[in-house]
Amino acid sequence: MKDEITREERVDNLKGMGCSRKRVEDARFTQGKGNYVDDIKLDGMLFGDFVRSPYAHARVKSINKDTALKVPGVLAVLTADDLRPLGLHWMPTLAGDKQMVLADGKVLFQGQEVAFVVAEDRYAAADGIEAVEVEYEELPVLVNPFEALKSDVVLREDLVAEDGSIPAGAHGPRKHHNHIFTWEAGDKGPTEEVIANAEVVAEESMYYHRTHPCPLETCGCVASMDKVNGKLTLWGTFQAPHAIRTVVSLISGIEEHNIRVISPDIGGGFGNKVGAYPGYVCSVVASIVTGKPVKWIEDRMDNLMTTAFARDYHMNGKISATKEGKITGLQCHVTADHGGFDACADPTKFPAGFMNICTGSYDIPTAFLEVDGVYTNKAPGGVSYRCSFRVTEAVYFIERMIEVLAIKLNMDAAELRRINFIKKEQFPYKAALGWEYDSGDYHTAWDKALKTVDYDGLRAEQAQRVRF
Amino acid sequence: MSKKKHVTLNVNGKTEEFLAEPRELLIYTLRERLNITGPHIGCETSHCGACTVTINGKSVKSCTMFAVQAEGAEITTIEGIGGPDNLHPLQEAFKEHHGLQCGYCTPGMITRATKLLEEIPNPTEAEIRFGMAGNLCRCTGYQNIVKSIQAAAAQMSAAKEAAE
Repeated sequence: MKDEITREERVDNLKGMGCSRKRVEDARFTQGKGNYVDDIKLDGMLFGDFVRSPYAHARVKSINKDTALKVPGVLAVLTADDLRPLGLHWMPTLAGDKQMVLADGKVLFQGQEVAFVVAEDRYAAADGIEAVEVEYEELPVLVNPFEALKSDVVLREDLVAEDGSIPAGAHGPRKHHNHIFTWEAGDKGPTEEVIANAEVVAEESMYYHRTHPCPLETCGCVASMDKVNGKLTLWGTFQAPHAIRTVVSLISGIEEHNIRVISPDIGGGFGNKVGAYPGYVCSVVASIVTGKPVKWIEDRMDNLMTTAFARDYHMNGKISATKEGKITGLQCHVTADHGGFDACADPTKFPAGFMNICTGSYDIPTAFLEVDGVYTNKAPGGVSYRCSFRVTEAVYFIERMIEVLAIKLNMDAAELRRINFIKKEQFPYKAALGWEYDSGDYHTAWDKALKTVDYDGLRAEQAQRVRF
Repeated sequence: MSKKKHVTLNVNGKTEEFLAEPRELLIYTLRERLNITGPHIGCETSHCGACTVTINGKSVKSCTMFAVQAEGAEITTIEGIGGPDNLHPLQEAFKEHHGLQCGYCTPGMITRATKLLEEIPNPTEAEIRFGMAGNLCRCTGYQNIVKSIQAAAAQMSAAKEAAE
């Protein structure tokens, strides 16, 4: 045996960071032996699917399920009226709001769940859906959050008091019947003062559009209630199985220790599978009612229309600096379009997630952030699409502001970034919007990145190609 | 609902006979009736390719074909391409080159790639990208899928040369 081993040998022996490892699941996946939710089959399993609203905002005047119940293979049609005695027609959201499980008198977005048809198979369920007769009365539709905040049209009548006043929401006072919350971070007065007296100020309005994570596998679940032992087993496309267990327990009254939640192989999530959806609740109810396992699987249109979106942030920014390019202040206002229910999958404490990381990697002494959440006639959601909660939005905002400031200063944006990065010796660094950064060496990383992409060469090429 | 039709298929070398409504989609037949769950449902509109199978030598998206239309056909799914003891070079290559993450698109991807490599045994990158354009992946960004197919093509060509 050798007395000493080289560093390379030691690293290789450790099989730790930097060491290439084979994934254990790939052998199954490449042979088509994955076990996704839709692959699950249980004895006597039924299939549930939704009657969905064709309107973005409408009153539901009546639902007639008589014809549907006569369709061969259809066993039950659930509506909000069936769920009301059980207290299951609404469910809590992850953001402190509540959401209709099935349309309770009205619908707030296109594709909203109106009735749940339980049938022997998918074809019978589809036949049943066709046969459910729903009478709607169309209401004015609000799809622009700025207009929603001015409109007399009330989207959430359940959140307006009888005397017409607007009670506070889960995140404090609300300014208007279509307003959800205002969230602030940093110092308003000092920031406005710095910007008002600055040598240079750049402003920008940007809309980070609504997008859908769109995993290749849609959302779905299989609920199986064993009435003999009182235990519920729920397989599903869950990115947050523990949260799902809590929500199911809260609404069903089944104790958490009697609920087993299983997330088998998941066909992509990207944030879309964090939320709790009406399909999960209806499957559980249907399994309790029928005593049989019930499967619900979205189709692609259901997935795109109704399950959680990401972004939809209207961001207005002001950034101030000295003539030499040292940033002195940053102000950001966000109008956040949350759709018909506030089902944002952020931790409840932070209604705008980590948007207050929007000072980025820069040493910005004074800053202020204000986020207004707004109800509109769109699907609920607000998930972290391939990032942490609202970090993509924050990063897009600050980097765009840097670019705009660089144009205003007639300075190279790379140089502007170098001037303003938090310096290595400043760590641990306390940011103006409350975060403490533990460590970093941005200048070294920046130089390395610029060298890797041959930034000087790129600029020279640009100068050659673009002639004004 | 109309009258059920008698359907005979040969799937992965096995003859299957059953009665199906004319509206029954082939992907439903495979997954629900025959328990062949390798092909997946991603879109039911022919966009994503997760349900790709080979029918009489051609790549077909089984979510937009009725079972009755496949009457008498020979069908190969991922299950018929290679198992634990005889992995197809493409299955090996996808594993080796990280050509997948969640695995949902993979059966369709590999099934399509087997046909691509029959059509063009040594494809260029552009030919792979064009030949695989009907199969969507939301995880990988395609880079490693292209690499996997290139690696499998090289291995299959080398094996063929060695045999000749």
